Formats: sequence, structure tokens, C-alpha cells
Amino acid sequence: MNLMDSIKRGWQKLAWTWNPSSDKESGDAIVKNVLLHWFPNKVSAGSLSWSYSMWLGTISFVLFMILVVTGMILMFLYVPSVERAYSSVKDLEYVVSFGWLLRSVHRIAAHLMVATVFLHMARVFLTGAYKNGASVGANRPLNWIIGIVLFLCTLLLSFTGYLLPWDQLAYWAITVGTNIASSAPFIGEQTRAFLLGGNSIDQNALIRFYVLHVFFLPVVVLLGFCWHMWRVRKDGGLAAVDRDAREQRARETEPVKSKTYSLLGIVGGASVHVRAKAVDEEGNSVPSAPHLVRRILLVTIATLVVVLVLAILFPAPLEESANPAVTPNPAKAPWYFLWLQEIVTDTTLNVGVFTINGALIGGVLLPAFLIGLAVWWPYRDKSGHGSVGVWFAPERRRQNMVFLAICLLIIIFTIIGTFLRGPYWNFYWPWESWPSMPVRF
Amino acid sequence: MKLFSKSESNSPVTDTGRREFLSKIGFGSLVVSVFGFTFQSIRSLIPNVLFEPSRRFKIGFPSQLSEGMTYIEEMRLYVFKEGQTYHAISGACTHLGCTVRYTKLNQPKTVEIKGEKQSISHEFHCPCHGSKFYADGTNYAGPAPRPLQWHKLEVSPDDGQLIADMTEEVDQNYRLTV
Repeated sequence: MNLMDSIKRGWQKLAWTWNPSSDKESGDAIVKNVLLHWFPNKVSAGSLSWSYSMWLGTISFVLFMILVVTGMILMFLYVPSVERAYSSVKDLEYVVSFGWLLRSVHRIAAHLMVATVFLHMARVFLTGAYKNGASVGANRPLNWIIGIVLFLCTLLLSFTGYLLPWDQLAYWAITVGTNIASSAPFIGEQTRAFLLGGNSIDQNALIRFYVLHVFFLPVVVLLGFCWHMWRVRKDGGLAAVDRDAREQRARETEPVKSKTYSLLGIVGGASVHVRAKAVDEEGNSVPSAPHLVRRILLVTIATLVVVLVLAILFPAPLEESANPAVTPNPAKAPWYFLWLQEIVTDTTLNVGVFTINGALIGGVLLPAFLIGLAVWWPYRDKSGHGSVGVWFAPERRRQNMVFLAICLLIIIFTIIGTFLRGPYWNFYWPWESWPSMPVRF
Repeated sequence: MKLFSKSESNSPVTDTGRREFLSKIGFGSLVVSVFGFTFQSIRSLIPNVLFEPSRRFKIGFPSQLSEGMTYIEEMRLYVFKEGQTYHAISGACTHLGCTVRYTKLNQPKTVEIKGEKQSISHEFHCPCHGSKFYADGTNYAGPAPRPLQWHKLEVSPDDGQLIADMTEEVDQNYRLTV
């Protein structure tokens, strides 16, 4: 009995911040718990809504944490050498207890992360959440750019991880991917040689991709994530807060005296005070502990379950060991690059006597253009405060149409590249069978 | 006299100049050292020695090669023997570097290459993006921007074996006659 009591007391000591029993305790929770210190004391109910943000950013972060944890275990079991990489992955698949699950979870979480980060970006665009509202000191366009960098890092993380199993799938996806880099004018060949550490995909390339994958890029993502979150606080919270503030101003209530608990409230800058008007109004906001914390935990458990179920339903494939002499037919890049592969196939142009390699247009110029467009867009978007934090704001209708059209094209090309391309990159409907191709000759 | 008393200088202007100078030296050396570290870090990642097979190698005695095509798998090189003449075509697609497949045609077809009618019995097809090349490596379909590379063949002076030199590109008229 005594033991049970002390266990219970110990648990309460650990867990009270997640489940505070009074308003005072929920304020204390934010200040005292290092894991919660970066949350505001109170959050607007609107920014907690499921339908506004769909929590895609949180899901992406949870997926990243799953990848970090499974990745660290995988690092104990994987050997990044040309001689042993493939067999260590094979051991993982057939010898190590739960190795197949570990690898499958890591792979599914990586694929899902590419998807959720992209969807998160689409959500931010469609709600006009990269726009500054009325609050002072906000710089949401900068946070949008940080987000783009995080998205590119996510793609690179996935791509560098692709080579590590050292099977045919890995080898040829990286062959195609790095040759796209070499089609860039002037510095292409050097870029490829620097990436690979030589002229061919060999030990140098493997160790480079490995270090990028397990250390360099994750650290960049982690730092970028911290900056991303810090900016969210500096910008006055999610854009939904600006929407609430606007509605509140329309009702013309007196500003409520605000009380701040966080460091950011003490340090200079007006953002907290401006936000405080809307956030501190009764009925408009709730304490972060437990409401925000509870939803984050809910999102975490849901993400974990979905990843686990998908990992069991779709186990990670492992083809035969990498063989530079035999190109699989068709040889496909990872699915999220297949729209590019589809485009590099279709865009070789003849201009007079000059022939421009499709790899340059589809693989270098087009992605560079799209990234530049995305960076530039928030500065071009001159729509009013009324379309900040609102899904499909009428004022931004044409912008949203353009954005959705680009997304739709990318998705269509991805589907064609994934499902409708067979041997020699010929077009096959799903109901047509592929001709049998000799593996060797 | 106090240890940390402020000196009562009569000329604060020269003092500011000295501080600025010292801080410029300080920041300057910081920039230089960061740049130096960055340079040496990146330079160390550019290999000076590559443990890759030589791109110039012996492929055997001319008489031992069979008539027609011989594929050297490790180097992705197609070597052709037509009677007394030899030539070599790279198997790396000029689009994105996949290995093109030697595809024998069921019946010879006549094609026009650079205004000349030729009868060919094989082609090269790329499995990655569907580029197609005639027997002499000329691209005619798909995204490949250039013909397949031709490489130089020589006879080794020491033992008379054929040497393929993949560091050197030659034009499509190149033939080695032995």
C-alpha cells in the first residue's frame, strides 16, 4: 500500500504538467517543464481546430521523431560499406528480431513525411498562412521560406536513404538522380563528382550518402525546425489567430489586460501584446496545458498507429544486390521524383542545331523555377488582411487556382510515372500487361 | 591608484581609432579562419586518388574476339569486330547514364542516318526513358540529346592486345584496322 502510494506520488510529480488541476498549475506547467517551455501559456481555440491546420506540421514532426528513433536503432545494425551494406540489410530483413518491422516503419514514415510536409505546405498556401496579419513584428514569408528549405531537406533525406540498401532499386534510382545533377550547365559534372566522391557510384558515394542521411541533413532539419517554431511564436501564432483578432476587432471590445508567463512576453517586441488582445479574451482561448498538449499526444498516437499498420501491410521491398552492369527495365526514381522523371523524358528540345537535354530542363531548370516561384510568391501576394488564415479566401481565389493547377499537374505526372510506365518507359494502361523483358543478354 | 580605474585620456579620438582597428583585426582573422576551415574541409572531400578501375584497359587479342558484338560488362562498352576493323561504342545513355541494351532486330531495316541510307541489324534501346539509337549510336527517339559516345581502340605495343581507351572520344568514322 505504501509502495503503491509512493509510485502514485512519483507519477504525479512527473506528470502533473501534462494534466494541471488549476489555471495556476497550467501556467506553471509551461514555465517549469522544459518540454513545454516553447508553447505559449494560452492558445487560441481557432489554432487548435482540426479542420483549420489539420495538424499536418505536427504529424510531420512526429514522423521525423519516429524516423530519428528507428534510424538510430538501424544505425547499430547497418554497415555502410559496399561489401556489407546489402547483406546487413538482408540480415535486418530475415535474421534480426523485428528487423523487418524496424526497416518497414522507417521506410513508411519517410514516405509519409514527404507527403505530409507537402500537404502542410499546401495547407499553408491555401489558407494564406504565409501572409502577415495586423500584428507587429511578424515575418511569415520568412517562415514560409524556412518551410521550403525543410521540405527540400525532407526530399534529400529520403533520397540519400534510398541508396543505403545497395540493391538494384537503390543503385539505379541514384544513377538517374545524380545524372540529373550532371546535366546542369558548367558545374554539373563537378557537382556529380563531388556528390559521389568519384566518377561512379561506389564506396565513396555510399559513405557520403550515409553521412548526409544519418547526421548532416537530420541536424539541418532539427535546427530548421527550431527556427520554424520560434518564428511561429514571433509571428503571433498560427495565422488563425489573426483571423480571430480580426473578428474580435469587428466586435470592437475593449482590449483585455494581458498577462504573460513566457520569456517572449518579457523580452522586447510587440507581438505578444498585440496577440494578447485576441488570445486573452475569455472563450477565445484555452490554456496550452492541457489542451494543446492533449491534442499533440492524440496526433502522436494516431500517427504511430497509422505508421505501424501501413508498415505491416506494405513491407519494405529488397531487390537483388546492386549490379552496375544490369539496368532494371524500367528503372524508376523514388515516387516523389517520378513527376520529374516523366518530365525529363518529355522535354528534350531541338532548337536549330542545338539539342537541350531534357534532364537540364526537367531536372534542373524546372525545379529551380518552382522553388524560386514559391520563395517569391508571398512577396508578390498583395491580398488584404481579410485573407490571412482563411481557407480558400475569395480574394486569393486566382492564386489558389494556379497553385492547385501546379499541384494537380505534379500529381498527374507522378501517377503516370508510377503506374503507367513500363519497360523502356513505354506507356501501358493498368489493364495492359507488360511484355517480358530479358534481364540479361 | 586603483587597479581597474579608467584612464583619463585626453585624446579619446585616437583611442576610438585604435579600438576600431583592433576589432577589425579581430573580426578579420575570424572571417579568415572560418573561411580557411571551410575551404580545407570541403577540399578534403574532393578525392585525390580514386580506387576505380582504369578507364583505359586491355580487352584481349583481336583474333580472339568473335565477329560482331562483344560486350564488356564491367566497363559498359560494346566492341564490334567487322572483319579486319574494330570500333567501340559506350553503353552509357547520353540522357541520364542508364545502360543501353543491344537489341537485335528480327530483320534488317534500312534507315537514313545523316542523309545516308544504311541497312542495320541491331539497335540500342535505353530502359530508363525509352531513348533509341541506331547501330552506329545515332539517337533517333526518346530524350537522349546526343549519339552514344565512341571510344578509341588501340593495339598494345607490348603484347598486341586491343586497348579500349574510354577517356578518349572519337567520331563515328573511327575504325581500327588490324
